[in-house]
Amino acid sequence: MAPRRRLFRLGFGRPGPGRQVDWEIEHYLVEQTERLMAEGWTAEEARREAERRFGGLARQRRRIVTVDWTEHAMRTGAAWWGGIRSGVAQAIRRIRRSPGFVAGIVLTLGLGIGVNGTMFGIVDRLLLRPPEGVAHPEQVRRILWRGMWLGRQGTIPALTYSDVVDLRTVPQFLSVGAFTSTRRLTLGSGEGATEVRAVLATADFFTTLGAHAQLGRVYTTKEDGIGAVSTVVLGNEFWRRRFAGDPDVLGRTLEIAGNSYTVIGVMPRGFTGVDLTPVDVWLPAVVARHAMDSSDRFLTSRGYYWLQAVVRVSDEASAVAGSAAATALIVNARTDQVRRGQYDANTRVFTAPLLAARGPRASATSKVALWLAGVALAVLLIACANVANLFLAQGARRRREVAVRLSLGVTRSRLVAELSIEAVLLAGLGGVVALAVARWGGSLIRTLLIPDVLWQGSGLDGPVLAVTAALSVGAGLLAGLGPALRSARGNLNRDLLEGGRGSSAGGSPVRRGLTVMQAALSVVLLVGAGLFVRSLHRAANADLGLDTNRLVLASLEFNDPALSTTRDAAEVNRLYAEAIQRVRSVPGVARAAATDVPFQSAMIAHLTSPGVDSLPVSPGTGPFYYSVTPGYFRTVGLRVLRGRAILDSDGASAPKVALVNENMARTLWPTKQALGQCLYFDHQTECTTVVGVVENASTGDLDDTGALAYYLPLSQTGYAAEGLYVRTDRDPEVVAAAVAPVLRSFSPAVRYAQVQSLGEILAPQLRSWTLGASLFTAFGGLALLVAVVGLYSLLAFEVAQRRRDIGIRSALGASGGRLLRETLSRGTALAALGTVIGLAICLLAAPYVQQLLFHTDARDPLVLVVVVGVLLAVSGLASVPPALRSARTDPMEALRVE
Amino acid sequence: MRDTPLSPIPGTLELLILRTLGAGSEMHGFAILEWIHQSTDDALIVEDGALYHALHRMERRRWVDSDWGISEKGRRARYYRISPEGRRVLAAEEERWSRYVEAVGKIAPREAGT
Repeated sequence: MAPRRRLFRLGFGRPGPGRQVDWEIEHYLVEQTERLMAEGWTAEEARREAERRFGGLARQRRRIVTVDWTEHAMRTGAAWWGGIRSGVAQAIRRIRRSPGFVAGIVLTLGLGIGVNGTMFGIVDRLLLRPPEGVAHPEQVRRILWRGMWLGRQGTIPALTYSDVVDLRTVPQFLSVGAFTSTRRLTLGSGEGATEVRAVLATADFFTTLGAHAQLGRVYTTKEDGIGAVSTVVLGNEFWRRRFAGDPDVLGRTLEIAGNSYTVIGVMPRGFTGVDLTPVDVWLPAVVARHAMDSSDRFLTSRGYYWLQAVVRVSDEASAVAGSAAATALIVNARTDQVRRGQYDANTRVFTAPLLAARGPRASATSKVALWLAGVALAVLLIACANVANLFLAQGARRRREVAVRLSLGVTRSRLVAELSIEAVLLAGLGGVVALAVARWGGSLIRTLLIPDVLWQGSGLDGPVLAVTAALSVGAGLLAGLGPALRSARGNLNRDLLEGGRGSSAGGSPVRRGLTVMQAALSVVLLVGAGLFVRSLHRAANADLGLDTNRLVLASLEFNDPALSTTRDAAEVNRLYAEAIQRVRSVPGVARAAATDVPFQSAMIAHLTSPGVDSLPVSPGTGPFYYSVTPGYFRTVGLRVLRGRAILDSDGASAPKVALVNENMARTLWPTKQALGQCLYFDHQTECTTVVGVVENASTGDLDDTGALAYYLPLSQTGYAAEGLYVRTDRDPEVVAAAVAPVLRSFSPAVRYAQVQSLGEILAPQLRSWTLGASLFTAFGGLALLVAVVGLYSLLAFEVAQRRRDIGIRSALGASGGRLLRETLSRGTALAALGTVIGLAICLLAAPYVQQLLFHTDARDPLVLVVVVGVLLAVSGLASVPPALRSARTDPMEALRVE
Repeated sequence: MRDTPLSPIPGTLELLILRTLGAGSEMHGFAILEWIHQSTDDALIVEDGALYHALHRMERRRWVDSDWGISEKGRRARYYRISPEGRRVLAAEEERWSRYVEAVGKIAPREAGT
């Protein structure tokens, strides 16, 4: 009939069904109108008549479009379903045909996805999910303040009880609760005594969090007042562990730190307050303050910072306004301290998110965990690159098969769908492996590397499963889609003729690019591992001034309140002296000495010195005092640099003496000899003569040796000893275990003795570097392994693809050595390029990692050199087998094939 | 469904369209419409829209194929042509129709004779 030109050649170039129907109806209307006008209708009437004859324009259009849409949907649905079905069939066929290939992919992706699931579970707990059992956590904020503290500008959570009382008067704070950090207290007494992890919290701590007991109840404000009957609420895990979840536990009494407490409630599972560390018992803060110290200074003084606070606010604006009000109250209450230069007048109170990891006081562990989550993604990227590489190689080998199918009329989009589905299915199998990795790897990391967080469940909760599933699909598409598109794009004629061989190793530039990327990321991860290992090593051997390697710390608890409140200092010191004697006879103990200032605390007293105008007294730089027994310096490992140490002869009636540390000597008498100078200590009128200078020591923080300090004989200050240092000549853990029973039983006055090696005390400070060093090394090693396998398979593949060429060249006289060198240098070139890119990334990222390291430059040359060496060496090794194969190619055989 | 080709045909409109296209040429909707109007004296089609509805239904059943093209008047139009499947349907239908006519033809004279 009528001649016409085609508008659309291919089906999918057409517009949607609705548009097409509109065009078609319009064509009808135009033609009909024209015909009617030819019969004599006016243009307007003709158009109207045409519409009438078509019959209800809108109704007809809807009917026709409906027909087309069902058609459209059926067609796409059928295509998809067909694609999915044959994709699944293909995948199963391939699993049967090449289990090695499939196992490689599943394992690679499984490890890659698994480390991500693991790290997500950890980051989710540390940074994403609010603490368990807190109602409307978005309304609850921590109270922090910024100002000078221990000599530095700091962001501090510590408050005095009076500060908390002030906070309660701030109208914007709907509710205020206070709590202490977790501390170890004695449970029971005598032989069977153990320790519990206790938090002292005010009654309004629970109301502020909106937390309720699962069994029984929490204590009321009345029960947290002076003179109230002592009550205790148990942590759920402790209750189940110690009382086997017995509901009759209510009403029983526990002896904690020498006082009896009646159990009135059990908190719900997972409840840890606002920090994530496990808590065994919750004690009313005011009632239980004696567990920390004796005196009621704890309730009235503005100098004892033993609490932290949380507040509930209705919105951000009231948090800001409330902070301003709180700042005024807290600073104004300290005009005296400010005047004496002991308090920073610019202190500012502010509120921070409930999860510490999201606030300004994020722990190094949580920061490192976040970095590791990023690193885990890099591992997955490397894994995806490897799998993509395998698929590309597979695609090149199967080019002929694809070409045949294309020529038989299978559409390219169907082919792409099939191949992608196959990849996603394999990634799904990888996901199953990943779950196993997340389950076991996760619990390993949790218990070994982040033990101070209460972990709930197996690590395979909803979010982790969801992330693992999403990553599986994502990784499958990422690794499979590119190679699938590439396969389907092949040149039919060439591929049919050349078969699976292919002279120009199609896809190799892409594969080489992927290999370079893998090498680069491996370098980044290995450098990270090196930096953390070095940090850990340096932190573990950090110079605290004290020689921490073989040191054990002990402290005594007494039955008599007069002793435990240190009111009877003489008796306490007598008991410590006896303890020292007893301990010295324990095998493995070299020395022992006592002090009134235990490790990781610092005390300030009033101090003046003639000729020194203003002594820089501050909570930061000291000067801190330590009253110590003779032998203290040799016990803790501090060297006396000038003058003499404290001797037995420095008794109560002897002339008063002191030693100062180097910092103090330099600050007070920059131009003079410190020896022989006079100090007036604690408002005494008698001159205390400086008889020695001792080396600087940290107060217990790894990164601090800046404070001023002086040491006085315990017998002359009359203060009560609070701690005992024991130097050992063998493994301190073993000696600690031997010392503990001696200290717990040598006197009926002693209820309990806490004994810990210094290594154990310092371990939490090393945790972030331990975490970083272990996991960066694990991930880096995994990345290197995957990348090297990738490099090997690329080279092996190239050699196999170029077998014919190599055969020809070999036949033309190319020596085996030359062929060997060529393949070797190709491998090394790829690794070297990746190394250069990786190093560039490291240098760019260096400033961001720096803060997480300990005394290690993020561009540490040794680490960089070692990593480069390792990478080049390993990639060289990976290139050897393919290179050898290339050199041994038999020209006759290579050319005879096909 | 293929064994009983008549059943899905609700009326004779589809048959008419198949016959129109059965001559082998591609026609757009309006041309088919004019042809049917002429050959049936406007008796069959009440609303012209119904023809388009029928064409789309038939395309869904793969009896006809369509493509977009430019008409002799230079307008964008959708062209239909009969598919192999449509030819089978048409053949079976015509066969059945002629058997029917034959049968009626055999009966009628006898009736006329009584």
